[in-house]
Amino acid sequence: MVTVLQLALNGLALGAAYALVALGFVLVLNATGAVNFAQGDLVMAGGYGAAVFASLLAVPGLALLPIVIAAMALLGLAVAALAYFPLMRRPATAVFVSTIAIGLVLQNAALALFGPEPRAAPPVWNNDPLRWGELALSSQALAVIAVAAVLVLGQGWLLARTRLGRDLRATAQDREMAAALGIRVNAMIALSFMLAAALAGAAGALLANQFFVTPTTGGALILKAYIAVVIGGWGSLAGAVVGALLVGLFETVVAAAVSYTAASALLYAALLLILLLRPQGLFGEAEGRRA
Amino acid sequence: MTLDAAPSSPRRGFGGDTILTIVILAGLGLYAGIFASPYGLRVLTLAGCQALLVLGYQFIFGHAGALSLAQGAFFGLGAYTTAILGAHYHWGFAVTFPLSILVPLAIAGAVAVATLRLASHYFALATLGLAQVALLVVVNAGDWTGGALGLTGVPGISLLGLTVSRGLPLTAVVWGVVALGVWLAWRLTRGLTGIAYAVLRSDPLAASAIGLAQSRLRFAAFLLSAGYAGAAGALQAHTIGVVSSETLEFSAMVTCLAMTVIGGSTRIPGALIGALLLTYLPEWLRFLEDRALLAYGVALLAMIIAAPEGIAGLIGRVLAPRPRASRLPTPASVPLQTAKSAPLEARSLRKSFGGVVALDGVDLVIEPGEILGLIGPNGSGKTTLANVISGLVAPDGGVMRLGSRNLRTLSAEQIARAGIARGFQTPALPPSLSVLELVALARASNAGTIGFLPSLRGRDAGRPRRRFEAEALDLLVRVGLSTDANEPCGALPARLAWRIELARALALDPVLVILDEPAAGLGEGEQAQLGTVLREIASRGIALLVIEHNMPFLIPTASRIMVLDQGRVISKGRPAEVLRDPAVIAAYLGLETIPA
Repeated sequence: MVTVLQLALNGLALGAAYALVALGFVLVLNATGAVNFAQGDLVMAGGYGAAVFASLLAVPGLALLPIVIAAMALLGLAVAALAYFPLMRRPATAVFVSTIAIGLVLQNAALALFGPEPRAAPPVWNNDPLRWGELALSSQALAVIAVAAVLVLGQGWLLARTRLGRDLRATAQDREMAAALGIRVNAMIALSFMLAAALAGAAGALLANQFFVTPTTGGALILKAYIAVVIGGWGSLAGAVVGALLVGLFETVVAAAVSYTAASALLYAALLLILLLRPQGLFGEAEGRRA
Repeated sequence: MTLDAAPSSPRRGFGGDTILTIVILAGLGLYAGIFASPYGLRVLTLAGCQALLVLGYQFIFGHAGALSLAQGAFFGLGAYTTAILGAHYHWGFAVTFPLSILVPLAIAGAVAVATLRLASHYFALATLGLAQVALLVVVNAGDWTGGALGLTGVPGISLLGLTVSRGLPLTAVVWGVVALGVWLAWRLTRGLTGIAYAVLRSDPLAASAIGLAQSRLRFAAFLLSAGYAGAAGALQAHTIGVVSSETLEFSAMVTCLAMTVIGGSTRIPGALIGALLLTYLPEWLRFLEDRALLAYGVALLAMIIAAPEGIAGLIGRVLAPRPRASRLPTPASVPLQTAKSAPLEARSLRKSFGGVVALDGVDLVIEPGEILGLIGPNGSGKTTLANVISGLVAPDGGVMRLGSRNLRTLSAEQIARAGIARGFQTPALPPSLSVLELVALARASNAGTIGFLPSLRGRDAGRPRRRFEAEALDLLVRVGLSTDANEPCGALPARLAWRIELARALALDPVLVILDEPAAGLGEGEQAQLGTVLREIASRGIALLVIEHNMPFLIPTASRIMVLDQGRVISKGRPAEVLRDPAVIAAYLGLETIPA
């Protein structure tokens, strides 16, 4: 019983971090119609960021988080400037390729700077388990869930309740109409990239304590975020969060019961099946097409 | 590819690309035969394997414009098929080589059936998922594959009792296969099929308007890319003698992508240049050590932004700054019409978008040879009706037939091939294609000679192509466009768009042509010409459905007029009768009479 609870908690913590990645993924996809293939590598960059800042400042992870988020937002702006804006009038595939190139540069820059050995980021608060009688729960897992929840809710509030969020949503829905309404569309797209990178960076900082970070960490994350988005249905932020939690839970439970490889293989197989049978997502609506 | 919003169409005949390819291959032959050291030969052989891989990748990524991330996986599958069958079972090249091509082909076929239908990122991520599954399987099926350590003891190539020894013979065999691959790729893409792929990736709507079967074209490109990759993987396994799981890792895939983009993604010499450059670069730049991938990333980003047509495209621009305008052929008369003429009949067509009812039980009959004008206030459902009839939008309910043929079970491309051709309110004309190429392509599509099988038999190039162009020119003369036939569609003024769209529609031997506001923006003289051409077409027994706001144009042109309002037919009949109908006057609120 205790193990099951701990397992579920770990799964939810992993899923919560995935949710941050998936949210950034959906933000950019909606704003630009293009997939940011560097999203996973931005998570990796956030992990290294946290590890590096921790070696400079002796403060808990929670205090580092705002620094990581700010630095990552700047990196997101750079990604938009290099990989999106020069190509915005070209087919979406051109942006796929340019973001793959960015990911390649990030990965190999990390390899050059830090070498292939895993690095760890500091825990959000500390690593002492919380105890109630026999029950001992990882405080790191709880802290990850709490931080991710704050960021997800903050994101939801920004999009639903603020003028900025309204402009972001308008841009995602119909770029030309938004421009006609006087919304600064390019600024909104740049902001989407910044938010996506910031969320990815936060996820990286949170994951890099328990799971460490290596230059190649990002590769698998892009697929997992995509799976979360596919499960949740396109364009739905809440769906992406639910999808991410499911992916995290599934991965943790199967990894504990069988193996990590089995968990990954099953996830990818599930992705293929979903794409074959229900490309609009498990909970999503069919997309319309204008002629 | 694709990376270019306005891809240039393949040039004809014995052009610069062919010469460049021959020069490269001859230069390599000279180098290999005279100058190369054993080590140099080995690097050259490996570059040949990569060239074959990239040639294949050009089909799906360059021509079809779809980002497949499984090319590295297909390469690995070919390599492992050869390695497992050769090292474990000692099977010979005559069996293992074909199987190394067939295994990736079969897997590509299974995955493609459903995913190729899907747009851009679905396909990219589905193929990435496939690649990850392949990697996991290989690493964990250690008994067969050697796991993460790899599989050693792959035998060399031996065929018909002859063993190909390492060094020059092996280099010659590998580059011989590359030359074969070059020939096949040239044969498949030199003609109108190559142009069809350019339309497919730059303007899908235009592609469906000329009846190109998009899924089938992309499916064929994906299979070819998998087959080439399998062959390349098999040859690399023979060359190195070892296969490791590294061949399946994402970095190998990205290297292939970088070779394709840097060399040039639709041109054959581009594949050779990209593969050679990125194979030799790490040899030349030893000081980079294992930073080669970092350099690839930077180069990939720089090329995709600054030179999406790749090095081969840049060379082409230097060698032939302007495409030669070919002489126009002599027009060959096309018999307009039409053994297959049949009435279009629709009953109770319904369509809603969310809560908005666009079509609310529309009945419609169009007889051969009549011009039906379709009018109605903005948002009354006119364009939706045109989209439903041409298969671009599926109706929620109702019946649609052309003669005895049920249209509701057909795709947009099948409807176009069944004889319903259309023009668009915003003309769907690929800007870089010449008018003649576009109409000739429509003609070839109508004759069923677009695709890799017909192009293998030469039915879309050479003399057959000249015949399609002669017929296309005849149609262009009929719509009054003959002198501009060699101009790119994008260079012609908007007032000529209806002529191009009409010629393209007529190229399909249509039963019914649908036009959406063809008179918009035309002067009175042009409107009169449009009317004359439409009546001439109708006199041949072709039916026309013309959506129009311009009543002074429509009233003398149309045989009947139908009025839509809020998705319903509120009036139909001869033009004069419809104009007097009180319901019509009420629909055009605020107008005492309809402007006539």
